[in-house]
Formats: sequence, C-alpha cells, structure tokens
Amino acid sequence: MDLTYPPEVADFRRELRAWLAAELPAAWAAPGFWTTLGEDESFDLRRGWERRKALAGFGGIDWPTEYGGRGGSPTMAALADAELARARAPRSVNPLGLTFLAPTVMAVGTPEQKTGILAPMLRNDVIWCQGFSEPESGSDLGSVRTRGERDGDDFLVHGQKVWTTSARHADRMFALVRTDPAASRHRGLSLLLIDLRSPGVEVRPIRQLSGISEFGEVFFTDVRVPAADCVGGLGNGWATAMLLLSFERGASAMGQYTDFRRAYDQIVEVARALGRDRDPSVRQSLARRLVELECLRYHALHVLTEVERGRDLGFASSVTKLQWSQAYQGLFDTFDEVLGADVGLDHPLGEFGESGGLDLTALRRESFWTRSVTIWGGSSQIQRSIVAERVLGLPNSRLA
Amino acid sequence: MFFALTDEQRALAETVRDVLADRFDLTAVRAVFEDTGGDGHPRELWRTIGDQGWLSVCVPVDQGGLGLGLVDAQVIARAFGAGVLPGPWASTVLAGEAVRRFGSSAQATAVLGPLGGGELVATVALRGPGGGLGRPGIAVRATSDGRLYGMASGVEYAAVADLLVVAALEAAPETAPGADADATGGTAVVPVDGVGLYLVDPCAVGVRVAPQSGFDGTTRLAAVTLEGVLGRRLPGSDDAALADLLRRGAVLAAADLVGLAREALRRTVAYDSARVQFGRPVGSFQALAHHLADLHVAVTMAEHAVLFAAHAVDSTPADIPANVTPADTPADATELADPVDVEPVDVDRVDAVLAVAIAKSKASDTARDVTAAMIQYHGGIGYTWEHDTHFFYKRAKRLAAAYGDSGDHLAEIARTAVGPMS
Repeated sequence: MDLTYPPEVADFRRELRAWLAAELPAAWAAPGFWTTLGEDESFDLRRGWERRKALAGFGGIDWPTEYGGRGGSPTMAALADAELARARAPRSVNPLGLTFLAPTVMAVGTPEQKTGILAPMLRNDVIWCQGFSEPESGSDLGSVRTRGERDGDDFLVHGQKVWTTSARHADRMFALVRTDPAASRHRGLSLLLIDLRSPGVEVRPIRQLSGISEFGEVFFTDVRVPAADCVGGLGNGWATAMLLLSFERGASAMGQYTDFRRAYDQIVEVARALGRDRDPSVRQSLARRLVELECLRYHALHVLTEVERGRDLGFASSVTKLQWSQAYQGLFDTFDEVLGADVGLDHPLGEFGESGGLDLTALRRESFWTRSVTIWGGSSQIQRSIVAERVLGLPNSRLA
Repeated sequence: MFFALTDEQRALAETVRDVLADRFDLTAVRAVFEDTGGDGHPRELWRTIGDQGWLSVCVPVDQGGLGLGLVDAQVIARAFGAGVLPGPWASTVLAGEAVRRFGSSAQATAVLGPLGGGELVATVALRGPGGGLGRPGIAVRATSDGRLYGMASGVEYAAVADLLVVAALEAAPETAPGADADATGGTAVVPVDGVGLYLVDPCAVGVRVAPQSGFDGTTRLAAVTLEGVLGRRLPGSDDAALADLLRRGAVLAAADLVGLAREALRRTVAYDSARVQFGRPVGSFQALAHHLADLHVAVTMAEHAVLFAAHAVDSTPADIPANVTPADTPADATELADPVDVEPVDVDRVDAVLAVAIAKSKASDTARDVTAAMIQYHGGIGYTWEHDTHFFYKRAKRLAAAYGDSGDHLAEIARTAVGPMS
C-alpha cells in the first residue's frame, strides 16, 4: 500500500490547481450560478472553457502527444478529473466523444480518422453525441433497426435514435447502424460517424422529469454518410461498440467521487442550517451515505492501481457502475430526509427563519438527475446480470 | 500510488488458506464447535501458526517477529475468517500490540518473544458486562498502587490465556490514597482521571476466569473478575492508547468479517450453480442472481474499506487524541444562505479514525447480509445444524458487535462528518 503520488504526478496536480485558481471564473463556483443560465448560454460557456483548458495543455491528459494530448499516466488523468471537480469546474460538454469515441479511434481508427477526429474533439471544434439507443432498442442493443443502405460510396441512413445526450448541441454522432439487413442481430452492424448538419437529420429535444432537456431524439431520413466514415470496419459494428463501451473505466470514479462528496458536504450544511444535524435518524442516514461514498473512493484507488499495472478490468466495471450510481442516488434520498416536512418547498426556511430560506435549486436539480444514473449506460438490472454471470460465474438467466 | 496487496501479501494469504485446508478444514471446525465443554483452542495447529510467524506479524524484528503491519495482519485475519478458524490468534496479536506500543522495553522483551513464538497465549479485556466501546464501557478500576477491582465480560479465550491486558479506570491523582485502597469494583464514587492498560496473570490470586457460553462455537468467551490483583501498568497507556487498541481490534474483526463474507458468498454461488429446480440451476433465477451480485459489490467495497483502514492505522502517528470532539460551533442559518460553499476534499487523504469506523460498519453489515443470504439461498438444508452455514452466520453475528457494532461506528462517522450531537 502506498497512497502517495510520484513527484511528476504531484507536480502536475500543483500545476493544474494553480491554473484552475487563476483561470476558472470565481462566479462560476457561486451557488446556483449554472442554474441561472439558459441551456444554450450554459453550453457555450462550457464549450469555450473546455477549449481554453485544452489549449493550456490540460485536455487529453492521458492521450498520446501525437494526438494533441499530454502523454500522461492514467493516475494523472484520474487526478485531473478529481481536481476539476474539486475546483467546481463545469463538466465536459464532449464527454461521450472524449470517453468513448476517442480511445476507440486511437485503437481501431484509420490514420485519416485519427487526424480528423482527435485534435478537433479536444478543442471542442466538434461536439460528439452517441447514437446507440432506439425506441425499440434500449438494454437490448443488438436489436437496433436504424439502417444504412449502400448507395455508391455512401450509405443512406434511415431511422431514429433516442435518449441522445447533447443531441441539440452536437455536431456529429457515432451511431450503431444496421448496414447489412440480411445478417442476423449482432452481425451486419456498423459504427458510422454521422454529420448532424446533413440534410435529412431532425433533432427534437426531450424534456426530462427534472424539467431540462439534456436528451433528445434524432430522426434520419435518407441521410447521406460516406462509407469511409465508419470506425472499426463495415459489418464489425458490434465488436467496435463493445470495445467502445469498455472504455468506461472505473478510474473516472475519482472525479465522480469528488463531485458526490461536494454534494454530500452541501447536504450536511443544509442539515445544519435546518437544525436537522442533531436528529439521530438523519445523522445515521448521513453516516451510511458517507460509508458508501468513501468505499467508492477506495474502489477508485483500487481500479486506478489495476489500470496502472496494465490489467484489464473486464466486467468488474459493472461493480464500479453499481457502486457509484447507487451511492449517488442514495445520497439524495437522504437529502429528502434532511429536508423533512419541507421537502416539497423550493425555498425551505432555516431554523432561524429570518434568513429568508436556502437556495436549493442546484441540489434539487441534481436530486432529480440521480434518478437517471441507474438507467443510462447499462441499467442497474443489466449490471447485476453482468456481475452475476460474468464475475460470479452464475448460470446464464436467458439460456437456462 | 498502489492500493493493493503486494505479491508477498498475496502469497501469505494463499499460504494461510493452504495450511487451513490441509490442517483445519470445516470438519475440524465442527469438532471444536460442538465440543461446548472444551476450551476451543486448536493446540495441534498453534505450533504451526507460531512457526509461520502469524502470531508475531506485528512484533518487531529485534523481538523475533516479522516486523510487519496491520495490512499484513488483516491478510491473515481474512484467511482465518474465511476458514471460520477457532483459536486465540486475534486476541493474542492484539494483546501484543498493546505491549509493543504502550509497554516498557522490559515488558516488550518479556512478552513479545514468547507471544510471537506461540508459547504465550494472550488476550484483551477491554469492557465490562453490557459495556460499550471505550472508557464508558469499562467496569474495572485501578488503585494508584496498581490493584485492580471489577469485571470484564466476553473476553476471548481468557480460559486458556497466559496473560491478560486489562483496561481499567484510574482515579485522579489528587484522590486520597486511603480512598483508593477502599475502592472496590462497582463503586463509582471515585472520580475518574483516565484509563490505563494493565498486564495481569490470570492464574494469580485475585483473578477469577469463568467461561461464558455463547452461540458462536468458533470461539470461546469468558468473564474475568478482578479482586485486588496487582496489575503491571503499561506505562504508555492512556485514553488514546485504549482508542488505538480498539481501532486495531476493529480492523482485525472487520478483516475476519470480510474474509468470512467472501467465503460465504463463494459457497452460496457454488451451491446455487449446482442446485436444480424447475429444470434449471436456481442461480440462474434473477431473484437470486441479482441479490448475489449486490452482495458481491458490498463484499468488494468492504474488502477495500478494510485494506484502506489497515493502511490508515499503519501510516498514522501514534498520538491521535482520544475522544476527538470537533469544536462545538452550532451552525447559524443566517451564515448559511450559501449551502454550496464548503471546503473541497482530496482523493488521497487518510483519516485513520474515520477509515476504521467506515471499515467496521461496512464489514459488519455486509457479513450479516451475506451470511443471512447464505442460509436463505441454501434453502432448507441451510437451516440445519448439519450444514456449515451456521458457523459463518454465528461468527458474523458475534464479530459484527465486537469492537463496536455498526451503530457505534456510524455514530462515530456522524461525529466526524456532521458534527457533535449537541
């Protein structure tokens, strides 16, 4: 056991911390700042900020330098996530591209794709969204129906994708498309890169239960996509998609932990302000949430160690997803307990009512958001089946 | 950055498991379990355990020990938990830690060598009947000349111990010596100034050891009554020392619990993969499979938490003040219109007090859940005396309450994270 960082990593953290202190606008960290902005305004601010971050050398921390990255270690990348969360820097507007598409292109992309996709993504010149889910294809990804018909050097794409994060702001989509209708299920799929500015693309926002519209649905009517804009080989889309999803590594839980821990500390502050910090039941509930959050931190350290040792985490990433999503969601169940009878009020009065109440807008929005985290990226039920069958080795529930 | 066991520590875990599989499997455990009149001490195994250095894992090299830390000790504790092994290993190691950390060099020399070699069995007596964790739970008083009066309960393996480490309340020094001399156990009139740890010979006049029966046949417990026996004080002991010893005990108990939980889960998965009903293995039903998956996540987290806690204790200086109470400044709502403005935390910080509380509460709850599921998912056979499930379930039930139960540790976590109660 050794929880210290090598000197170059410690230096990197100091450097990033100093840069964030100097460059991150103080107003952005103010309570509720982001909730006062419209979605477009918020997106533009974040897009520009992330570009400045990349130009300052703090993007693509663990990307090879040849692709415009910093050439750092997984530990540096994980620490950067944590530092950004710590400084309350806004989250990336290009997470699907950065997390999933970029490493996939590095692994199986053509030289032209590597040049054309990676550096522009880092600068946020191109915002990416993911086109996997469809109305009839949620957890059962092999059943996608969106089809691409060959037309000379192009495909004509026809169909619909849904639950598309950042659909409204994205420039391009990496989409799982059925390019060979004759082949069965997992065969005959290709990962196509679709320009969302093309004729025949229609994007409609979906309003979520939180009231905001981060998701959307995307309709394709004979959208022309060059066959060259396929990653991982035509007809090889299933394997490419599985490779792509495997990059959701647990190391990123460092940033999540820091984010969740900030929410935890805010909820404790609310409990104090409301005088609920002396309620034994609330105290025990808060203590239990901290146990799960700290376990997530230990787990992130463990996963990072394995990644640094070059070990493939395989299906253990389902353990990470279950732990972080349930710890995060549970934390906001406790938030409700803290608010008690005033849970339904947007501005519950403090114990000393003259204060005019607490502004809980941001925490409330986060609270509703947590309902989604056990659904997207593989629902908890799918994750449990993966853990049961692939980690514990229990018999397959569908074939038995 | 290395959050994992080293190759040596992995090899140690394998060796312990191999030795138990070869020398003390569940059939041997059952023999001890059912021999309720016996002392529960697997002597035939103890020479090996001593020779392997498993008793001297934390004893310094110059005292003949391995000179390792709690991270290594928890490797052994996990393997012993997995084997639901009877015997005074944890109590002996813990007594050794008290002597190593708070004893004089003469005491260390006299005790640690024989203890590490397996010739001397030791145990700790840190609480009275019904007593909780720490100073409030102690029912032994020490006079200024070192005579001990009172009682300790649930003392592991006291009946086979050659040495007791007893926690005792100490009178304020200004108290008249005459009052001390009259003090007897149970009279709570003498003001308490502090706590001391004392070495006591259980065979001495003024000590009575009475076995206490209990449902966990993988261990033996006893009540120890002290009637004026002269204890040898560990000169470095005080409230902080007691807290330190309790933290180490909590880590070892938590390690035993996670080792036990992992093995209980493994056995349940194996059984449910083979047991066929409705023409298919019952483990293929999602009602079972998903719960077992959740338990795997919980056990994994508990393993991490125990490893982190052991490391936190190993890497923390000795002098954590006891009964740490953060400055009592009740928050004023008028100052908190900005609930967002809180200090950020670092991902690599280490807080031993918090880490131990987290590990013990997580391990206790997890082992309870897993062993209950072990019974449930074995069906009727899992509820029989003939099956081995109850060794795991009962040991987990006892250890979950040892060195603070989940509620005790959650209260400690709340004190750290939320603030004082009043």
